[in-house]
Amino acid sequence: MTEFGLRLAISLTQIAAVMGIVVVTVLILTLAERKVLGWMQDRMGPMEVGPYGILQPFADAIKLFFKEDIIPAGANKFLFTMAPILCLIPAFIGFAVIPWGPSWTFEINGVTVKPFVISDINIGILYILAFASLGAYGIILGGWASNSKYSLLGGLRSAAQIISYELNVGLAIVGVLIMAGSLSIVKITDAQAGWFWEWFIFKMPAPQIFAFVVYVISAVAETNRVPFDLPEAESELVAGFFTEYSGLRFAFFYLAEYANMVLVSCVASALFLGGWHAPYPGTIMELVGLSSWSWIESTMWFAVKTYSFLFLFFWLRATLPRLRYDQLMRFGWKVMLPIALGNIVVTSIAVFLYNR
Amino acid sequence: MSSTSTTKRLNLYEWFKTITFYEILVGMKATLSHLLNYRPVTLQYPHEKRTLPDNYRGMLALLRYDDGTEKCVGCDLCEAACPSRVIRVVSAEVPGEPTKRYAKEYYMDMTRCLFCGMCVDACPVDALGMTREFEWAVYDKRQLHLNKQQLLAIGDRSFPVREKRLELQHPNVAFFNVAFKHVPPKPD
Repeated sequence: MTEFGLRLAISLTQIAAVMGIVVVTVLILTLAERKVLGWMQDRMGPMEVGPYGILQPFADAIKLFFKEDIIPAGANKFLFTMAPILCLIPAFIGFAVIPWGPSWTFEINGVTVKPFVISDINIGILYILAFASLGAYGIILGGWASNSKYSLLGGLRSAAQIISYELNVGLAIVGVLIMAGSLSIVKITDAQAGWFWEWFIFKMPAPQIFAFVVYVISAVAETNRVPFDLPEAESELVAGFFTEYSGLRFAFFYLAEYANMVLVSCVASALFLGGWHAPYPGTIMELVGLSSWSWIESTMWFAVKTYSFLFLFFWLRATLPRLRYDQLMRFGWKVMLPIALGNIVVTSIAVFLYNR
Repeated sequence: MSSTSTTKRLNLYEWFKTITFYEILVGMKATLSHLLNYRPVTLQYPHEKRTLPDNYRGMLALLRYDDGTEKCVGCDLCEAACPSRVIRVVSAEVPGEPTKRYAKEYYMDMTRCLFCGMCVDACPVDALGMTREFEWAVYDKRQLHLNKQQLLAIGDRSFPVREKRLELQHPNVAFFNVAFKHVPPKPD
Protein backbone atom coordinates (compact mmCIF):
# COMPACT_ATOMS: atom_id res chain seq x y z
CA MET A 1 0.00 0.00 0.00
CA THR A 2 2.77 2.42 0.86
CA GLU A 3 4.62 1.46 -2.31
CA PHE A 4 1.46 1.96 -4.32
CA GLY A 5 0.87 5.29 -2.61
CA LEU A 6 4.43 6.39 -3.36
CA ARG A 7 4.13 5.37 -7.01
CA LEU A 8 0.83 7.23 -7.27
CA ALA A 9 2.29 10.35 -5.66
CA ILE A 10 5.34 10.31 -7.96
CA SER A 11 3.21 9.75 -11.06
CA LEU A 12 0.76 12.49 -10.12
CA THR A 13 3.64 14.90 -9.54
CA GLN A 14 5.08 14.06 -12.93
CA ILE A 15 1.68 14.39 -14.61
CA ALA A 16 1.09 17.75 -12.96
CA ALA A 17 4.51 18.98 -14.04
CA VAL A 18 4.09 17.82 -17.63
CA MET A 19 0.54 19.19 -17.88
CA GLY A 20 1.77 22.49 -16.49
CA ILE A 21 4.59 22.67 -19.01
CA VAL A 22 2.27 21.81 -21.89
CA VAL A 23 -0.37 24.35 -20.89
CA VAL A 24 2.25 27.05 -20.46
CA THR A 25 3.67 26.12 -23.85
CA VAL A 26 0.22 26.41 -25.38
CA LEU A 27 -0.21 29.84 -23.77
CA ILE A 28 3.14 30.91 -25.21
CA LEU A 29 2.22 29.43 -28.58
CA THR A 30 -1.04 31.33 -28.93
CA LEU A 31 0.87 34.58 -28.47
CA ALA A 32 3.94 33.48 -30.43
CA GLU A 33 1.84 32.43 -33.40
CA ARG A 34 0.12 35.79 -33.66
CA LYS A 35 3.38 37.63 -33.13
CA VAL A 36 5.43 35.61 -35.63
CA LEU A 37 2.63 35.70 -38.17
CA GLY A 38 2.38 39.45 -37.72
CA TRP A 39 6.10 40.00 -38.06
CA MET A 40 6.23 37.92 -41.22
CA GLN A 41 3.39 39.97 -42.70
CA ASP A 42 4.85 43.38 -41.69
CA ARG A 43 2.36 43.76 -38.87
CA MET A 44 2.94 43.94 -35.14
CA GLY A 45 0.63 41.32 -33.72
CA PRO A 46 -1.13 41.98 -30.41
CA MET A 47 0.30 45.10 -28.78
CA GLU A 48 -2.36 46.36 -26.37
CA VAL A 49 -2.50 43.96 -23.41
CA GLY A 50 0.64 44.44 -21.36
CA PRO A 51 3.98 45.56 -22.74
CA TYR A 52 4.24 44.44 -26.37
CA GLY A 53 1.06 42.41 -25.84
CA ILE A 54 2.67 39.69 -23.73
CA LEU A 55 -0.41 39.33 -21.55
CA GLN A 56 -2.67 38.64 -24.54
CA PRO A 57 -3.02 34.86 -23.80
CA PHE A 58 -4.37 35.64 -20.33
CA ALA A 59 -6.82 38.16 -21.75
CA ASP A 60 -7.96 35.55 -24.27
CA ALA A 61 -8.30 32.91 -21.57
CA ILE A 62 -10.37 35.21 -19.35
CA LYS A 63 -12.56 36.21 -22.29
CA LEU A 64 -13.19 32.60 -23.30
CA PHE A 65 -13.86 31.62 -19.70
CA PHE A 66 -16.58 34.22 -19.22
CA LYS A 67 -18.25 33.85 -22.61
CA GLU A 68 -21.74 32.45 -22.79
CA ASP A 69 -21.80 28.74 -23.47
CA ILE A 70 -24.28 28.27 -26.31
CA ILE A 71 -25.70 24.92 -27.34
CA PRO A 72 -27.52 25.40 -30.65
CA ALA A 73 -31.11 24.28 -31.04
CA GLY A 74 -31.31 20.85 -32.60
CA ALA A 75 -27.82 19.89 -31.47
CA ASN A 76 -27.22 16.54 -29.90
CA LYS A 77 -26.49 17.80 -26.40
CA PHE A 78 -24.56 14.78 -25.16
CA LEU A 79 -22.24 14.52 -28.14
CA PHE A 80 -21.95 18.30 -28.39
CA THR A 81 -20.70 18.35 -24.81
CA MET A 82 -18.50 15.30 -25.24
CA ALA A 83 -16.74 16.35 -28.45
CA PRO A 84 -14.36 19.00 -27.02
CA ILE A 85 -13.35 16.63 -24.21
CA LEU A 86 -12.84 13.80 -26.72
CA CYS A 87 -10.63 16.16 -28.65
CA LEU A 88 -8.69 17.46 -25.67
CA ILE A 89 -7.87 14.24 -23.81
CA PRO A 90 -6.08 12.44 -26.68
CA ALA A 91 -4.09 15.59 -27.33
CA PHE A 92 -2.80 15.70 -23.76
CA ILE A 93 -2.53 12.00 -23.02
CA GLY A 94 0.20 11.39 -25.57
CA PHE A 95 2.71 13.37 -23.53
CA ALA A 96 2.84 10.50 -21.04
CA VAL A 97 5.41 8.60 -23.11
CA ILE A 98 7.55 11.50 -24.33
CA PRO A 99 11.02 11.57 -22.73
CA TRP A 100 11.89 15.16 -21.88
CA GLY A 101 15.39 14.55 -20.60
CA PRO A 102 18.06 11.93 -20.01
CA SER A 103 16.83 8.41 -19.23
CA TRP A 104 18.05 8.41 -15.67
CA THR A 105 16.55 6.21 -13.00
CA PHE A 106 16.81 6.48 -9.28
CA GLU A 107 15.20 4.66 -6.40
CA ILE A 108 13.04 6.06 -3.64
CA ASN A 109 12.22 3.42 -0.98
CA GLY A 110 12.61 0.63 -3.53
CA VAL A 111 10.44 2.36 -6.17
CA THR A 112 12.24 2.94 -9.48
CA VAL A 113 11.58 6.47 -10.72
CA LYS A 114 12.28 7.79 -14.21
CA PRO A 115 12.17 11.53 -13.65
CA PHE A 116 11.89 12.70 -17.27
CA VAL A 117 9.22 10.39 -18.63
CA ILE A 118 5.89 9.72 -16.97
CA SER A 119 5.57 6.18 -18.25
CA ASP A 120 8.12 4.33 -20.36
CA ILE A 121 5.77 1.80 -21.92
CA ASN A 122 7.28 -0.46 -24.56
CA ILE A 123 4.69 0.47 -27.22
CA GLY A 124 5.04 4.21 -26.71
CA ILE A 125 4.81 5.35 -30.31
CA LEU A 126 1.90 3.04 -31.05
CA TYR A 127 0.10 4.49 -28.04
CA ILE A 128 0.57 8.02 -29.36
CA LEU A 129 -0.68 7.06 -32.83
CA ALA A 130 -3.71 5.31 -31.36
CA PHE A 131 -4.72 8.30 -29.29
CA ALA A 132 -4.07 10.73 -32.12
CA SER A 133 -6.58 8.75 -34.15
CA LEU A 134 -9.10 8.95 -31.32
CA GLY A 135 -8.74 12.72 -31.43
CA ALA A 136 -10.38 12.65 -34.86
CA TYR A 137 -13.59 11.41 -33.20
CA GLY A 138 -13.82 14.61 -31.23
CA ILE A 139 -13.64 16.64 -34.41
CA ILE A 140 -16.08 14.47 -36.34
CA LEU A 141 -18.60 14.25 -33.50
CA GLY A 142 -18.29 17.97 -32.82
CA GLY A 143 -19.04 18.63 -36.46
CA TRP A 144 -21.97 16.26 -36.54
CA ALA A 145 -23.54 17.16 -33.20
CA SER A 146 -23.64 20.90 -33.94
CA ASN A 147 -26.57 20.52 -36.36
CA SER A 148 -24.93 22.97 -38.75
CA LYS A 149 -23.96 22.35 -42.36
CA TYR A 150 -20.61 24.10 -42.00
CA SER A 151 -19.68 22.08 -38.94
CA LEU A 152 -20.74 18.87 -40.65
CA LEU A 153 -18.68 19.66 -43.75
CA GLY A 154 -15.70 20.50 -41.56
CA GLY A 155 -16.09 17.29 -39.61
CA LEU A 156 -16.37 15.17 -42.75
CA ARG A 157 -13.36 16.82 -44.32
CA SER A 158 -11.34 16.25 -41.20
CA ALA A 159 -12.40 12.59 -41.09
CA ALA A 160 -11.11 11.99 -44.61
CA GLN A 161 -8.00 14.07 -44.06
CA ILE A 162 -7.00 12.51 -40.76
CA ILE A 163 -7.51 8.97 -42.07
CA SER A 164 -5.36 9.72 -45.12
CA TYR A 165 -2.56 11.38 -43.25
CA GLU A 166 -2.54 9.16 -40.11
CA LEU A 167 -1.50 6.41 -42.47
CA ASN A 168 1.44 8.42 -43.75
CA VAL A 169 2.53 9.37 -40.23
CA GLY A 170 2.45 5.72 -39.23
CA LEU A 171 4.34 4.55 -42.31
CA ALA A 172 6.94 7.31 -42.08
CA ILE A 173 7.74 6.25 -38.54
CA VAL A 174 8.25 2.59 -39.48
CA GLY A 175 11.72 3.27 -40.89
CA VAL A 176 12.80 4.69 -37.54
CA LEU A 177 11.31 1.73 -35.74
CA ILE A 178 13.23 -0.70 -37.97
CA MET A 179 16.49 1.09 -37.23
CA ALA A 180 15.88 1.46 -33.49
CA GLY A 181 14.39 -2.01 -33.09
CA SER A 182 11.91 -0.76 -30.50
CA LEU A 183 8.56 0.98 -30.15
CA SER A 184 9.48 2.67 -26.87
CA ILE A 185 10.30 6.32 -27.43
CA VAL A 186 12.85 6.23 -24.61
CA LYS A 187 14.75 3.42 -26.38
CA ILE A 188 14.42 5.14 -29.75
CA THR A 189 15.92 8.31 -28.29
CA ASP A 190 18.72 6.40 -26.57
CA ALA A 191 19.66 4.80 -29.90
CA GLN A 192 20.50 8.27 -31.26
CA ALA A 193 23.20 9.22 -28.74
CA GLY A 194 26.43 10.75 -29.99
CA TRP A 195 27.12 13.24 -32.74
CA PHE A 196 24.27 14.67 -34.73
CA TRP A 197 24.87 12.26 -37.62
CA GLU A 198 23.70 9.54 -35.25
CA TRP A 199 20.22 11.07 -35.32
CA PHE A 200 17.83 8.94 -37.33
CA ILE A 201 17.37 11.66 -39.91
CA PHE A 202 21.07 11.31 -40.90
CA LYS A 203 22.03 7.93 -39.44
CA MET A 204 23.66 5.29 -41.65
CA PRO A 205 22.85 2.85 -43.19
CA ALA A 206 19.51 4.38 -44.10
CA PRO A 207 19.09 8.13 -43.45
CA GLN A 208 15.43 8.79 -42.78
CA ILE A 209 15.39 12.18 -44.49
CA PHE A 210 12.48 11.30 -46.82
CA ALA A 211 10.57 9.76 -43.97
CA PHE A 212 11.21 12.94 -42.00
CA VAL A 213 9.80 15.13 -44.78
CA VAL A 214 6.78 12.86 -45.11
CA TYR A 215 6.31 12.92 -41.35
CA VAL A 216 6.47 16.71 -41.11
CA ILE A 217 4.02 17.24 -43.97
CA SER A 218 1.63 14.61 -42.64
CA ALA A 219 1.94 16.02 -39.13
CA VAL A 220 0.93 19.46 -40.38
CA ALA A 221 -2.03 17.84 -42.12
CA GLU A 222 -2.93 15.78 -39.08
CA THR A 223 -3.04 18.77 -36.77
CA ASN A 224 -5.28 20.63 -39.26
CA ARG A 225 -2.85 23.47 -39.71
CA VAL A 226 -2.29 25.68 -42.74
CA PRO A 227 -1.84 24.69 -45.59
CA PHE A 228 -3.96 21.65 -44.71
CA ASP A 229 -6.58 23.46 -42.61
CA LEU A 230 -9.53 22.33 -44.69
CA PRO A 231 -11.59 21.18 -41.68
CA GLU A 232 -11.66 24.73 -40.33
CA ALA A 233 -11.20 26.65 -43.59
CA GLU A 234 -12.40 30.03 -42.42
CA SER A 235 -13.00 31.41 -45.90
CA GLU A 236 -15.24 28.49 -46.86
CA LEU A 237 -16.72 26.96 -43.72
CA VAL A 238 -16.85 29.88 -41.22
CA ALA A 239 -14.76 27.96 -38.69
CA GLY A 240 -15.36 24.35 -39.74
CA PHE A 241 -16.17 21.84 -37.05
CA PHE A 242 -16.18 24.34 -34.17
CA THR A 243 -18.39 26.94 -35.84
CA GLU A 244 -21.16 26.49 -33.26
CA TYR A 245 -18.90 26.30 -30.23
CA SER A 246 -18.31 29.16 -27.86
CA GLY A 247 -16.79 29.87 -24.50
CA LEU A 248 -15.01 27.12 -22.65
CA ARG A 249 -15.86 24.40 -25.18
CA PHE A 250 -14.29 26.45 -27.94
CA ALA A 251 -11.27 26.96 -25.70
CA PHE A 252 -11.00 23.17 -25.36
CA PHE A 253 -10.83 22.74 -29.14
CA TYR A 254 -8.30 25.53 -29.34
CA LEU A 255 -6.21 24.02 -26.56
CA ALA A 256 -6.41 20.59 -28.22
CA GLU A 257 -5.20 21.96 -31.53
CA TYR A 258 -2.16 23.57 -29.96
CA ALA A 259 -1.44 20.61 -27.68
CA ASN A 260 -1.53 18.41 -30.77
CA MET A 261 0.98 20.69 -32.42
CA VAL A 262 3.27 20.41 -29.40
CA LEU A 263 2.84 16.63 -29.28
CA VAL A 264 3.60 16.21 -32.96
CA SER A 265 6.69 18.39 -32.61
CA CYS A 266 7.86 16.41 -29.58
CA VAL A 267 7.44 13.13 -31.46
CA ALA A 268 9.29 14.51 -34.48
CA SER A 269 12.22 15.71 -32.40
CA ALA A 270 12.32 12.49 -30.36
CA LEU A 271 12.13 10.17 -33.36
CA PHE A 272 14.13 11.96 -36.03
CA LEU A 273 16.26 14.61 -34.35
CA GLY A 274 17.69 12.75 -31.38
CA GLY A 275 15.21 13.90 -28.73
CA TRP A 276 17.03 15.35 -25.76
CA HIS A 277 20.48 14.51 -27.16
CA ALA A 278 22.72 17.44 -27.95
CA PRO A 279 24.29 17.49 -31.44
CA TYR A 280 27.60 16.57 -29.80
CA PRO A 281 28.37 13.54 -27.60
CA GLY A 282 27.60 13.99 -23.93
CA THR A 283 26.91 17.43 -22.52
CA ILE A 284 28.95 20.52 -21.77
CA MET A 285 27.76 20.37 -18.16
CA GLU A 286 29.51 17.01 -17.73
CA LEU A 287 32.72 18.39 -19.21
CA VAL A 288 32.83 21.22 -16.68
CA GLY A 289 32.10 18.75 -13.89
CA LEU A 290 28.44 19.49 -13.22
CA SER A 291 27.13 16.13 -14.39
CA SER A 292 24.17 16.25 -11.96
CA TRP A 293 22.98 19.40 -13.75
CA SER A 294 23.41 18.03 -17.26
CA TRP A 295 19.67 17.32 -17.43
CA ILE A 296 19.10 21.06 -17.83
CA GLU A 297 21.17 21.08 -21.01
CA SER A 298 19.41 17.98 -22.31
CA THR A 299 15.92 19.33 -21.70
CA MET A 300 16.95 22.62 -23.25
CA TRP A 301 18.05 20.80 -26.41
CA PHE A 302 14.70 19.02 -26.48
CA ALA A 303 12.91 22.35 -26.06
CA VAL A 304 14.99 23.95 -28.82
CA LYS A 305 14.14 21.14 -31.26
CA THR A 306 10.46 21.19 -30.36
CA TYR A 307 10.17 24.95 -30.59
CA SER A 308 11.91 25.06 -33.95
CA PHE A 309 9.24 22.68 -35.18
CA LEU A 310 6.54 24.89 -33.79
CA PHE A 311 8.20 27.83 -35.52
CA LEU A 312 8.05 25.84 -38.75
CA PHE A 313 4.28 25.50 -38.24
CA PHE A 314 3.95 29.30 -37.98
CA TRP A 315 6.30 29.83 -40.87
CA LEU A 316 4.28 27.54 -43.12
CA ARG A 317 1.10 29.28 -42.04
CA ALA A 318 2.54 32.67 -42.95
CA THR A 319 3.67 31.43 -46.36
CA LEU A 320 1.31 28.93 -47.89
CA PRO A 321 -2.27 29.15 -49.12
CA ARG A 322 -4.73 26.36 -48.44
CA LEU A 323 -4.75 23.27 -50.64
CA ARG A 324 -7.82 22.33 -52.62
CA TYR A 325 -9.57 19.22 -51.38
CA ASP A 326 -8.66 16.98 -54.35
CA GLN A 327 -5.07 18.22 -54.20
CA LEU A 328 -4.96 17.27 -50.54
CA MET A 329 -6.20 13.76 -51.23
CA ARG A 330 -4.01 13.26 -54.29
CA PHE A 331 -0.94 14.50 -52.44
CA GLY A 332 -1.62 12.23 -49.49
CA TRP A 333 -2.35 9.03 -51.39
CA LYS A 334 -0.32 9.40 -54.57
CA VAL A 335 2.81 11.18 -53.32
CA MET A 336 3.26 10.76 -49.58
CA LEU A 337 2.13 7.14 -49.34
CA PRO A 338 4.48 5.74 -52.06
CA ILE A 339 7.41 7.67 -50.60
CA ALA A 340 6.71 6.31 -47.12
CA LEU A 341 6.31 2.75 -48.45
CA GLY A 342 9.47 3.04 -50.54
CA ASN A 343 11.30 4.30 -47.49
CA ILE A 344 10.24 1.24 -45.53
CA VAL A 345 11.51 -1.09 -48.27
CA VAL A 346 14.83 0.72 -48.64
CA THR A 347 15.37 0.94 -44.89
CA SER A 348 14.58 -2.73 -44.35
CA ILE A 349 17.01 -3.84 -47.06
CA ALA A 350 19.72 -1.45 -45.87
CA VAL A 351 19.40 -2.50 -42.24
CA PHE A 352 19.33 -6.17 -43.23
CA LEU A 353 22.51 -5.86 -45.31
CA TYR A 354 24.22 -3.66 -42.72
CA ASN A 355 23.62 -6.09 -39.87
CA ARG A 356 24.92 -9.12 -41.72
CA MET B 1 -1.15 13.37 -79.38
CA SER B 2 2.41 14.38 -80.00
CA SER B 3 1.80 17.79 -78.41
CA THR B 4 0.54 16.23 -75.17
CA SER B 5 3.51 13.89 -75.05
CA THR B 6 5.93 16.80 -75.39
CA THR B 7 4.23 18.74 -72.57
CA LYS B 8 4.12 15.68 -70.36
CA ARG B 9 7.73 14.75 -71.06
CA LEU B 10 9.68 14.53 -67.86
CA ASN B 11 11.69 17.67 -67.52
CA LEU B 12 14.53 16.77 -65.16
CA TYR B 13 14.96 20.33 -63.96
CA GLU B 14 11.26 20.80 -63.24
CA TRP B 15 11.15 17.43 -61.55
CA PHE B 16 14.06 18.36 -59.32
CA LYS B 17 12.38 21.63 -58.43
CA THR B 18 9.20 19.76 -57.51
CA ILE B 19 10.76 17.17 -55.24
CA THR B 20 12.86 19.74 -53.40
CA PHE B 21 9.79 22.01 -52.84
CA TYR B 22 11.69 24.78 -54.60
CA GLU B 23 8.71 27.13 -55.01
CA ILE B 24 7.63 26.66 -51.42
CA LEU B 25 11.16 27.37 -50.22
CA VAL B 26 11.23 30.60 -52.23
CA GLY B 27 8.02 31.67 -50.53
CA MET B 28 9.34 30.72 -47.12
CA LYS B 29 12.51 32.68 -47.78
CA ALA B 30 10.36 35.72 -48.58
CA THR B 31 8.40 35.45 -45.33
CA LEU B 32 11.57 34.86 -43.32
CA SER B 33 13.24 37.91 -44.84
CA HIS B 34 10.25 39.96 -43.72
CA LEU B 35 10.63 38.52 -40.22
CA LEU B 36 14.34 39.37 -40.11
CA ASN B 37 13.96 42.86 -41.61
CA TYR B 38 11.03 43.63 -39.35
CA ARG B 39 9.63 46.97 -40.40
CA PRO B 40 5.95 47.06 -39.50
CA VAL B 41 3.63 49.30 -41.45
CA THR B 42 1.19 49.32 -38.55
CA LEU B 43 0.32 52.63 -36.93
CA GLN B 44 -0.70 52.12 -33.29
CA TYR B 45 -3.73 54.31 -33.93
CA PRO B 46 -5.04 55.62 -30.64
CA HIS B 47 -1.49 56.12 -29.37
CA GLU B 48 0.03 57.53 -32.51
CA LYS B 49 -1.82 59.30 -35.30
CA ARG B 50 -0.83 59.83 -38.86
CA THR B 51 -0.22 63.35 -40.11
CA LEU B 52 -3.18 64.56 -42.11
CA PRO B 53 -2.70 66.10 -45.54
CA ASP B 54 -3.11 69.88 -45.74
CA ASN B 55 -6.30 69.69 -47.75
CA TYR B 56 -7.90 67.16 -45.42
CA ARG B 57 -11.67 67.40 -45.42
CA GLY B 58 -12.91 66.59 -41.94
CA MET B 59 -15.84 67.61 -39.77
CA LEU B 60 -17.87 70.58 -40.99
CA ALA B 61 -18.16 73.70 -38.86
CA LEU B 62 -19.82 77.11 -38.87
CA LEU B 63 -17.47 80.07 -38.49
CA ARG B 64 -17.64 83.47 -36.83
CA TYR B 65 -16.03 86.84 -37.46
CA ASP B 66 -13.44 88.16 -35.05
CA ASP B 67 -16.09 90.17 -33.23
CA GLY B 68 -18.03 87.01 -32.51
CA THR B 69 -20.91 87.46 -34.95
CA GLU B 70 -21.87 84.56 -37.12
CA LYS B 71 -20.69 84.65 -40.70
CA CYS B 72 -23.71 82.80 -42.04
CA VAL B 73 -26.21 84.98 -43.85
CA GLY B 74 -28.81 82.28 -44.28
CA CYS B 75 -28.69 82.22 -48.07
CA ASP B 76 -29.47 78.47 -48.38
CA LEU B 77 -26.81 77.96 -51.07
CA CYS B 78 -25.10 75.25 -49.03
CA GLU B 79 -28.38 73.42 -48.72
CA ALA B 80 -28.81 73.62 -52.47
CA ALA B 81 -25.24 72.49 -53.15
CA CYS B 82 -25.30 69.51 -50.82
CA PRO B 83 -25.61 66.27 -52.84
CA SER B 84 -26.80 64.16 -49.92
CA ARG B 85 -29.16 66.65 -48.30
CA VAL B 86 -27.20 66.93 -45.11
CA ILE B 87 -27.92 70.58 -44.48
CA ARG B 88 -31.18 72.28 -43.51
CA VAL B 89 -31.22 76.03 -43.09
CA VAL B 90 -34.08 78.08 -41.69
CA SER B 91 -33.37 81.62 -42.76
CA ALA B 92 -34.76 84.69 -41.01
CA GLU B 93 -34.45 88.45 -40.86
CA VAL B 94 -32.20 89.91 -38.27
CA PRO B 95 -34.57 91.61 -35.85
CA GLY B 96 -34.44 95.36 -36.28
CA GLU B 97 -32.33 95.21 -39.43
CA PRO B 98 -34.64 94.47 -42.36
CA THR B 99 -31.85 94.28 -44.94
CA LYS B 100 -29.94 91.64 -43.12
CA ARG B 101 -30.66 87.95 -42.83
CA TYR B 102 -29.21 85.14 -40.79
CA ALA B 103 -29.68 81.42 -40.24
CA LYS B 104 -32.22 81.15 -37.47
CA GLU B 105 -31.76 77.40 -37.39
CA TYR B 106 -29.04 75.38 -39.03
CA TYR B 107 -28.99 71.59 -38.96
CA MET B 108 -26.51 69.08 -40.32
CA ASP B 109 -27.21 65.36 -40.38
CA MET B 110 -23.62 64.13 -40.34
CA THR B 111 -24.68 60.48 -40.72
CA ARG B 112 -25.29 61.25 -44.39
CA CYS B 113 -22.43 63.64 -45.06
CA LEU B 114 -19.86 62.39 -47.54
CA PHE B 115 -17.36 65.22 -46.95
CA CYS B 116 -17.27 66.39 -50.55
CA GLY B 117 -16.81 70.04 -49.54
CA MET B 118 -19.39 71.38 -51.98
CA CYS B 119 -21.18 73.36 -49.28
CA VAL B 120 -17.91 75.09 -48.40
CA ASP B 121 -17.35 75.93 -52.06
CA ALA B 122 -20.88 77.21 -52.43
CA CYS B 123 -20.84 79.55 -49.43
CA PRO B 124 -20.54 83.17 -50.62
CA VAL B 125 -19.34 84.49 -47.26
CA ASP B 126 -17.02 81.64 -46.26
CA ALA B 127 -19.24 80.84 -43.30
CA LEU B 128 -18.57 77.09 -43.55
CA GLY B 129 -15.27 75.42 -42.97
CA MET B 130 -13.93 71.90 -42.92
CA THR B 131 -11.93 71.14 -39.81
CA ARG B 132 -9.31 68.42 -39.36
CA GLU B 133 -11.44 66.53 -36.84
CA PHE B 134 -12.29 62.96 -37.81
CA GLU B 135 -12.78 61.07 -34.55
CA TRP B 136 -16.55 61.37 -34.48
CA ALA B 137 -17.50 57.79 -33.66
CA VAL B 138 -20.52 57.80 -31.34
CA TYR B 139 -22.68 55.15 -29.73
CA ASP B 140 -25.93 56.92 -30.60
CA LYS B 141 -26.48 57.94 -34.19
CA ARG B 142 -28.65 60.85 -33.10
CA GLN B 143 -25.59 62.53 -31.66
CA LEU B 144 -24.47 63.13 -35.23
CA HIS B 145 -27.52 65.30 -35.91
CA LEU B 146 -25.93 68.66 -35.15
CA ASN B 147 -27.58 71.99 -34.58
CA LYS B 148 -26.23 75.50 -35.05
CA GLN B 149 -24.74 75.82 -31.57
CA GLN B 150 -22.80 72.59 -31.92
CA LEU B 151 -21.51 73.51 -35.37
CA LEU B 152 -20.42 76.92 -34.12
CA ALA B 153 -18.66 75.28 -31.17
CA ILE B 154 -16.73 73.01 -33.54
CA GLY B 155 -15.74 76.06 -35.56
CA ASP B 156 -14.68 77.93 -32.42
CA ARG B 157 -12.36 75.18 -31.27
CA SER B 158 -10.92 74.42 -34.70
CA PHE B 159 -10.40 77.94 -36.04
CA PRO B 160 -9.08 80.13 -33.23
CA VAL B 161 -7.85 82.77 -35.68
CA ARG B 162 -10.91 84.47 -37.15
CA GLU B 163 -11.36 86.77 -40.08
CA LYS B 164 -12.41 90.38 -39.81
CA ARG B 165 -15.87 91.32 -40.94
CA LEU B 166 -16.12 91.26 -44.67
CA GLU B 167 -16.75 94.97 -45.03
CA LEU B 168 -13.68 95.79 -42.93
CA GLN B 169 -11.26 93.60 -44.88
CA HIS B 170 -10.82 95.93 -47.86
CA PRO B 171 -12.65 99.10 -48.86
CA ASN B 172 -13.42 97.82 -52.36
CA VAL B 173 -14.52 94.32 -51.48
CA ALA B 174 -17.79 93.25 -52.98
CA PHE B 175 -20.37 92.26 -50.42
CA PHE B 176 -24.05 92.12 -50.23
CA ASN B 177 -26.87 91.76 -47.78
CA VAL B 178 -24.99 93.69 -45.15
CA ALA B 179 -26.36 96.44 -43.00
CA PHE B 180 -24.16 99.47 -43.17
CA LYS B 181 -24.38 100.58 -39.60
CA HIS B 182 -21.34 98.49 -38.64
CA VAL B 183 -19.25 100.04 -41.38
CA PRO B 184 -17.00 102.77 -40.15
CA PRO B 185 -17.39 106.03 -42.05
CA LYS B 186 -15.17 106.25 -45.06
CA PRO B 187 -12.39 108.78 -44.81
CA ASP B 188 -13.11 111.85 -46.90
